[in-house]
Amino acid sequence: MSKHGQTNLETVSRRHMLQAAGFSAAAGVAALSKPSAAMVRYEGDLAILNVALGLEHQAIAAYDAGANSKLLNADQLKIAVSFQNDHNRHRDALIQFIRRFHGTPVAPKPSYDFGPITSAADIVKLAQSLEDGAMNAYLANAGKLENREILNAAVPILEDEVRHNTVFKQLLGMDVTGRLKY
Amino acid sequence: MVEEPEVNLVGPALEEKNVRREWLRLAGTASAGAILFLLTGDTKELYAQSKEGDLGILSAALYLEQEAVAAYQAGAESKLLPDGILKVAAAFQSDHKYHRDGISGVLKSLGVEPKGPEKKYDFGRLDSDKDILRLARDRENGAVLAYGTLASNILTKPVLNFGANVLVDEVRHRTILNSVLGIANY
Repeated sequence: MSKHGQTNLETVSRRHMLQAAGFSAAAGVAALSKPSAAMVRYEGDLAILNVALGLEHQAIAAYDAGANSKLLNADQLKIAVSFQNDHNRHRDALIQFIRRFHGTPVAPKPSYDFGPITSAADIVKLAQSLEDGAMNAYLANAGKLENREILNAAVPILEDEVRHNTVFKQLLGMDVTGRLKY
Repeated sequence: MVEEPEVNLVGPALEEKNVRREWLRLAGTASAGAILFLLTGDTKELYAQSKEGDLGILSAALYLEQEAVAAYQAGAESKLLPDGILKVAAAFQSDHKYHRDGISGVLKSLGVEPKGPEKKYDFGRLDSDKDILRLARDRENGAVLAYGTLASNILTKPVLNFGANVLVDEVRHRTILNSVLGIANY
């Protein structure tokens, strides 16, 4: 998990703890002693969703940087646009879930430092590295999600990240026959 | 479990030093309790969670894995695949064996004897490398859909984590086979 992700996680957890404290006081002793389904806030899931959202924001920005560089040829640009659309869709789905469970979606950073981008290969390498990170983040966190509906939504996102990662690995001539350790 | 006859397609290069190997070793030699402890540290919890729905999902997944292993085997034995593609097919078959063995190990640890594989699979006519690639691609596509649909119904965390990793392999396989067949990945 990136430093950026950890920061989000800590901030979000702290905020939710404070929100939960306020909510509990208002709800009163009766509600506290007998929690209802409506009170389940899935704090852990919300924190995971917000870390994932941070990664989606970062990916969208990276594809923007790639497209704006004018270094990609038409075919590469087509892939980048398609994959960025996927990330836009993931972002929107994550925001929807976070709001539904009364969380606060993290905003994109004002700017991202992707290092020097001087060639199409730089962009593909950057994108592959981000997709690989996203794939591993979703994979590592899928089993931690408590809410089945959220897990249901996360599975196709994981599938997209694997597909993106594999396409870029092929473009870069990287090995695509090795499986992860598990 | 009855092994299907197999050509040895896979070299020793693939990483084997991992949790799964230990998992399978224990599944083969130790009591069910020992492997469950290895997985979660809480045998009662895992038994309680797994006994019902997860067993059905694991059995269905095992069937798909056995079928995929057989499909790649049929492809390899056809001698229609060029060397480069045969190497990839061998690696993918190895992944499916890994999935199959992992699933079988979990089933055994839960006291269920894994069924299958079928004595014979009918994959239709395989007259060209394209036929084989399409066959493999369709199996991978079916596996992605199955794991993608079933994943969120798995209750046991270790099984879910294993299933998620399997799904990652299936998507990777499908993406590459799509590329080889000229099917768009974007």
